[in-house]
Parts: sequence; structure tokens; C-alpha cells
Amino acid sequence: MSTDPSRTRWLTTAIAVTLGLVLLSALTGFVGLPFAERGSPFRSVWDAICSSAGLVRNRLVTDVVGPSGYTTSAVVLSADMLQKAGAESIGRGGTLAQQCTMCHGNRGLSDATIPNLAGQYVAVIYKQLQDYGRGARTSAIMSPRVASLSDQDMRDLAAYYAYLPRLPPYHPVAAGPAPLIVQHGAPMRNIPPCATCHGEVDHKVGTPWLEGESAVYLGSQLQAFASGTRHNDISEQMRNVARGMTSAEIEGAASYYASQYPPER
Amino acid sequence: MLRSSRLILAHFWLAFGTFALALPLGAWQMLVRSPLHPWISDPEHYYRSVTAHGTVMGYVFPTLVAMGFGYAITEAALKRPLIGLKWAWAGWLLVAVGTITALIPVSMGAASVLYTFYLPMVGNPFYYIGVVLVVVGSWIWVALMAVNVYAWKRANRGAPVPLAMYVNVAGSLLWGWTAVGAAIELLFQILPASLGLTNTVDAGLGRVFFSWTLHAIVYFWLIPAYIAYYMIVPRAIGGRLFSDSMARLSFALFLVVAMPIGIHHLFGDPQVGAGFKFVHSIFTALVTLPTFLTVFTISASVEIAARLRGGRGTLGWLKALPWDNPMMLAVAMSFFMLGFGGAGGLINMTYQLDQSIHNTQWVTGHFHLIFAGAIVIMYFALAYDLWPHLTGRAFTDLRLIRAQLWTWSIGMITLTFPWHWVGILGMPRRMAFYDYTDPANAPLALSVVASTIGGAILVVSAALFLIVLIRGHLAAPAEPAEYRFSIAVHPPQVVPVALNGYGLWVGLMLLLTAINYGFPIANLMGRHDTSVPVVHIGAGK
Amino acid sequence: MTSVSQTGPTPGHDAVESAERRWSAVCLCIIVLLVFLATFAGVRQASLPQARLETVDPRTLHVTGEFIESNLGSAIEPDESVTVRIVGQQYSFTPQCIVVPTDTPVTFRAASADVVHGFLIQNSNVNLMVVPGYVSTLSTRFSKPVESNMPCHEYCGTGHEGMWARVHVIEKSQFLKLAKQRRRVSCVTQ
Repeated sequence: MSTDPSRTRWLTTAIAVTLGLVLLSALTGFVGLPFAERGSPFRSVWDAICSSAGLVRNRLVTDVVGPSGYTTSAVVLSADMLQKAGAESIGRGGTLAQQCTMCHGNRGLSDATIPNLAGQYVAVIYKQLQDYGRGARTSAIMSPRVASLSDQDMRDLAAYYAYLPRLPPYHPVAAGPAPLIVQHGAPMRNIPPCATCHGEVDHKVGTPWLEGESAVYLGSQLQAFASGTRHNDISEQMRNVARGMTSAEIEGAASYYASQYPPER
Repeated sequence: MLRSSRLILAHFWLAFGTFALALPLGAWQMLVRSPLHPWISDPEHYYRSVTAHGTVMGYVFPTLVAMGFGYAITEAALKRPLIGLKWAWAGWLLVAVGTITALIPVSMGAASVLYTFYLPMVGNPFYYIGVVLVVVGSWIWVALMAVNVYAWKRANRGAPVPLAMYVNVAGSLLWGWTAVGAAIELLFQILPASLGLTNTVDAGLGRVFFSWTLHAIVYFWLIPAYIAYYMIVPRAIGGRLFSDSMARLSFALFLVVAMPIGIHHLFGDPQVGAGFKFVHSIFTALVTLPTFLTVFTISASVEIAARLRGGRGTLGWLKALPWDNPMMLAVAMSFFMLGFGGAGGLINMTYQLDQSIHNTQWVTGHFHLIFAGAIVIMYFALAYDLWPHLTGRAFTDLRLIRAQLWTWSIGMITLTFPWHWVGILGMPRRMAFYDYTDPANAPLALSVVASTIGGAILVVSAALFLIVLIRGHLAAPAEPAEYRFSIAVHPPQVVPVALNGYGLWVGLMLLLTAINYGFPIANLMGRHDTSVPVVHIGAGK
Repeated sequence: MTSVSQTGPTPGHDAVESAERRWSAVCLCIIVLLVFLATFAGVRQASLPQARLETVDPRTLHVTGEFIESNLGSAIEPDESVTVRIVGQQYSFTPQCIVVPTDTPVTFRAASADVVHGFLIQNSNVNLMVVPGYVSTLSTRFSKPVESNMPCHEYCGTGHEGMWARVHVIEKSQFLKLAKQRRRVSCVTQ
């Protein structure tokens, strides 16, 4: 047998089998199955083929239930936001910050239970200011003060506080070992280790570092998340965590972070 | 002794050396997430270990084995020195440099992205650059395989390409094309994101590119083992290969169908249409055919060996086999694990059954059974077979080899069988620790402990393997006979052009790639609304 | 096996060819059968991959559209089926505790706010990937009341091991009562 007819036979058989299989599987997958499905959503064969191929068919969003009785954060976070603040912005922020020093201290460190801001991530400070301004986060003290700030003011303030050196708190507490809830979280209660977002292991955008913060402040915020009183965390991510924590665990976590030194940049 | 023995030994030692470093990591991972160990204090260490273990075991170790074995086959089957020795060394060097480059950021915790990359998460760019270098080094090998076979064909027009070389080149061509998917993802999506040149990326598209590589890479891993089944086992046990043309056809089928089926890894994903998922499922079902054919051909070949030794009866011939021959032991254990691993694969290949086990520990159990079990045991076997021809010294004690093969098999079964079970019970993958006190998780505890013990047995077996190889270097010099491959019962004088070349199969592979992947890729590339923010990990504070 | 030829232990050329051909035929039958079974089961059990591709912007899930937090949870549709909307993020699903009724068509719609997640619901065949930029959907039915874990099963970062949600399957009548009180139902206790 010469090679030529055999060669053609191999070629034609192989191509015929391949294309035959493609056709059969395509007909089944793109036409047969979509229509065989119970409650098939397709109006026509062409519609079924297009959807099965993967052409985007976004639905019209109707009947969305809005939040009743409270506002949520509308800040859109990104990893590179506000990273390029120039000296001008920081300077303007410093001027604005003179209104804040009475509570937050003139180096961004408070000597009471008010949160320290010195060296906090710029996105964190910006987001909290935005949330106060919009009413997603409410405080009798902060809300009136933020009302008069423009978006640029908030960017400048955030840039300024982020620029400040991270200094140890006024009343450092003796460091203890991390409680189990901090080290491991509690997986079945949907509590991951704090450090996986808050910075020691990895950092999630918009998440503050917590070291050296007042234990009273940290504890009260976790309680507020747990009860839903504080609700400016995007898509309930902190409420999901705090809800599962016991009061003892909240106290333990807060004391632990209060006793730690701020992280190096 | 083979002339390129230094080259081949370099590949094998780098392969087995990295294997020896990565394997204890796997055993450690099993331990720390089992009930035998308290929860580790830094979960990132676990994911770092998974990344290192997976990168070495998936990208470095099997690639080097395929490359080294490929060079050995080229010389032994074509009976001439390797063309391009300097290029081969360059390829080896690239793989070595790439491995080190990748593993440095991983060991520093800057690239805990697991070996499947996980867009939109990105780690340190040097991890990815390292992987790219490994792939480029392997592509040099692919080119050399083609160069060598075509040089032989020109010098021997019309003659059948020696079977061992024919299937070897088929495997290299498969790898050459299948690596392109991950290469595109790395070069055009991941590296720009990792280097900060872009801050958005289409995660869904990245997964589609990766799936292009992800399935066929396991066939790339499998091919050296299958070559050993066809070309070494029958000769080693004193038999003949049942069918030369079936061997060629099986590998040709792998070349065509192994690659354009990757979307079965994306059954549950939202970025691919259901129609394409079905088409990939059908073609995945087809890729079982060459394995079915292989099992038959090899079983028949083994039967011939038994009957040549006087075996009789429908099944009685099994007793006549040379069971103290390590190669016999290896192939029997490999087939045992291939049977179960392959059955697991049949379950994974349809959307409907995949639903029960996707991303559970079943998947991890499955690929350890089939790859680390059925395939790697043949890597050991082919290394043992080649070793005297690379070192110029003979193995004197086969007992240690048999013990190593037994411990590997027992360890692998102990590791993977309970692992499949906990997957069926719904245990999710890739967690640094589990709460076994939860009533839903308590039933998992005993099985996980069993798997952990299996892992420990494997560490012992791997140590035995290294000891055998090292001793092989220190034994008394003994010039081995010429290295030979199996001979078919009916060696062909003339082979159909289709089974003596690659044009038809490569053409079909490219055609199917276009049909099965063309639209899913183009569909996503054409959209602007599917790019999402890059998430840099390991950025720390 | 017919491989033992009259002349000795090695088979003749035709015996080899016919044995291989017969075996190939057997294999092809097995393969066709498996595919047919899977396809048939897929249609009968309504277990097919999602029918449409939909895109969504992960950056603004919480600001606008169907995945804002007040719209998440289980909702009764006009045709009495239930839609469950879920957001996945590092490292929790919202709602953290999901309620679904028995004997009702339930459709899950999920979106990711950041990286690839995925979830399975134990004691069920619900298993879905959630890729940022796209909406994942899956339809199913639950037959018996049960409380199950819903872990994230795709590596999503170093906190992945803490990402476990809960699903309560409750009697249809109970669910309808809850749905009368709130338009979006979940078992999250606030």
C-alpha cells in the first residue's frame, strides 16, 4: 500500500471525527441542554446559543431594598488611592488639623481614650471622615465638626495624619501574649486572625493598624460593630467578625492591641 | 554508558534534590492542619509552604524529569549523540536559575499566591519571573527534541521513527503548546500587575488562560511515566510490547486532546459559558481513551512476559511474573493507583459530579494519588533503570529499591484514600487549620490523622530513594550493556505517515484550541467591564 | 484473552489488531455511556452550569446595585421562588448566616468584592466559584431542614481558614412567616 491514499485517509478520518465531535457537543451544549433545562429562560435558539457561548447578558436590576433607618459607607477604596499627596496637601492638612488637636493631640496622639491618628493609613482616615460626613458613621462629637469639611479638606487631613510619625502612645501598657482570639480567630464563628487584615500578617486596603490604640476605644468600637450601632464597615465585614466575639474576647483583643507598639513603616 | 550522562544526571539530581526539599514541606502541611498539632500561629507560613511545595512539585520537578529522560531517549533511541548539547545545558541552567529566583521571594513570604497564581492577588514579581525562566528553559528542551527527531528523519527517510523517540517528541510538543496559556497570563497580566505597571486585571480571563495550561500539564507530567510503561517495562520483565501502532496512536491522541479541555477546571466559574463547559467535558471524556488503550496494551505486554516465562491459565499467568524485579513491582503498584486515580478523574470530568467535590480535599487527594502516586513511582522506576547507564556502576542490592517502592505505595495509599473520603464529607481545601471540635468536622479527624501518617511514610520512602541513588554513584564500576527499549511483538517495517510525524496531530491540537478556547478568551478580552483591582499580598504593614 | 496463539505465547499480528480494535470499541462505549449518564442527570436534576454571563463592578458592590448590604439575603420572588444574594470578601460572606426554605426553587447570586472566593454548602451539592467582576448563579432545591456550614473553599488570602458561614434550611412555612416580616431574610442576629 503506497503512503499517499493512506495519508489522505488518516487526514480525512481524523478531521472528520474531530469536527463531528465538535459539532455534536456544540449542538448539545449550546442548543440541546439550554432548552432541555426545566424552566429554561431562553426565548429563542439564538438567545440560547449566545448565552451558552458566554456573551454577557446583564439583567436589569429592579426591586433593590435600600437600608432602612441608616446610611452605609459609599467610599470606594483602592490600593493606590491618595498615595501621591504632595507637600502642599500635607501642609493644608496640618492647618486644618489645628481644629482637631484638642482631642486628637497635637502630634496625633491623644492622652485619653480618643483614637490616635498619627501615621494611620491615609485611606483609613479619609474613609472615616467621608463616612462621618455622609452619616454612615455618627458621633455627637465628630459629626458636627466634619460637616464643614470639603472632599479636598478630607484628603488633606488624611495626608497630614498619615505623614505624622508613628510614636508610642502616652500610656503604654505592658505587652502580653496575644490572646487566642487574636492569634487564631475562631474559624467556625467566622473570625479570622486579626493580623490577616490588620497588618502583622497581611494588610487589607482601608483597614487600620491597631497597635497602641486605646483599649477603651477599641473595645467600644468592637461592641458597636457587634450590636450594629456602628455600621460603616463595607458589606458588614467587621460586623461579621465582632458579632461572633464574646465580651471577654473583645476586652482581650482590645487590651492586647493597646499594649503593642505601632508598626514600623 | 550514555554519552550525555552528565547532562541527564544534572537534570535528575536537580529534580530529585528539589523534590527532596519540597516533600517534607508537604508532610509538615499535613501535620499542622491535622488534629495532631495545635493551630499554627501565623497562617501565612502554611500558605507559603503550599506555594513552595506546589511550585517545585508542579513546575520544577516533573519538568526536569521529563527533560532528563527526554535527552536519554534521544540518544538511546536514535543511537547518535544529542544535537545541541550546549543549548541543553543552557536550558538546564535557566531552569535552575528560575527555580532559585522563584523560591527566594516565596521563602520570604512575599509571594504566597500558591502555584495556581490566584489573580487578582499578586505577589513579588521575582516569583513569576522565576517561573517564566523555568518555562523558557523547558522550551529549549522542546526545540531540541524536535531538532533531533527531524535530523534523524532526514537521515533515515521513510523509516519508522524509533517508538521511544516518537512518543517522547509528542510529549514535548504537547508541553510546548500547553505552556503558552500560563505564559500569556504571566507575561501579559500578572507581571504588569506585579510590577505596578497596571492596577487592574481581568481575574476571570487569567483563570481561563491558566486552565489552558492546567489540564495538559498533568499529561506532560504523565508522559515520562507512560513512556516507561511502553518502552521500559516490557523489556525489563523479559516481554514484548503488544502493539507499536497503538502506542503511537495513544500518544498522538494525548497530543490532540490533552490540551483543549482545561475549562473543566472552571465548571463552577461565572466567566465561561455553559456551552463551552459542556464541549470541554466531552473532550475530557475523550482523553480517557488513550489511558484506557494504554492499560490494555501494557497489560497485554505484561501477559506476554508471563507466558514467555511459562505462565498458564486465564489469570494464572500472573504468578509467573518476575515479582522480585523492581520494574514489575513499580508497574503493578502504578496501575493500582492509576485505577483509583483515574476513576476519580472520571468523576471530576463532568459538571454534575464535580459539583459534589469541587475544591474539597477530594481534589487534592485525587491528584496526589494519580500524580504523586501512579506517575512519580514510575519516575523512580525509570531513574533506577537508567542509573547504571548514567553512572557506569551497577546496583547490587535490589532489596532497598523494593522497600522504597513498597513504602511509597503504602504511604501514598494511606495518604490519599482517607483524603478522598474527607473531601466527600465536604472538607474545604487550602486552610491552614481546621476546628475538629465542631460537630460537622469531627468525623474528619481520624481520616486526616491517617493521611498525616501516610505523609510521614512518604518522607521515609523519599529518603530511601535518595540513598539508593547516592549508593548508585558509589558502587563498583561496571560498564552496562547498551541501553535498550522494549521491542514490539510485530515491529513495523512501515508506519503510516500520520503515526510517524506530528503535522496532523499538532494541526488538530491547534484547531481544537481555536474552537474550544478562541471565543471564551476573545469574549473576555473584548470587554472593559471585567477588569478588577489588583490585590498585592505580602505587602505587610 | 485470545492472545495466546497456537504457535506460542506471543500473539499473531491479526490477533493483536483485533484485540486492540475490540478493546477500543469497549472503551468508546464506556465513555459514551458515562457522558450520556452525566448529561441525562444534569437535565433531570436541573444541575447545569449557570446559563448566563453577568458582570458587576466589585469596587461599588456596597454603593449601588443589587449587592448593597440591605439587599443581601433571601428574597421571595413574584413566582414564589427564592433568590439569595451573597457578597464574598476577605474574610467573610455577607450575610454570614443564610436562611433558605425547603421544597422551593432557590437561586444563589453571589459577587466578590475583592479576590476569588468560592463556597460549598455541606449536606448539599451547592458548590460555586465567586470571581470578582462577574456574578455567579446557581439554582437548587433543598428537601430537608438542616443547619450546615458554608466554608469558603478557594484560597483567598491568609485569613481564608476563618471564612466559614452558616446555612439554615427551614420549613417552607416557617420561611414564609419570616419573609412577611422582612423583605430580605437572614439568620444574622444583630
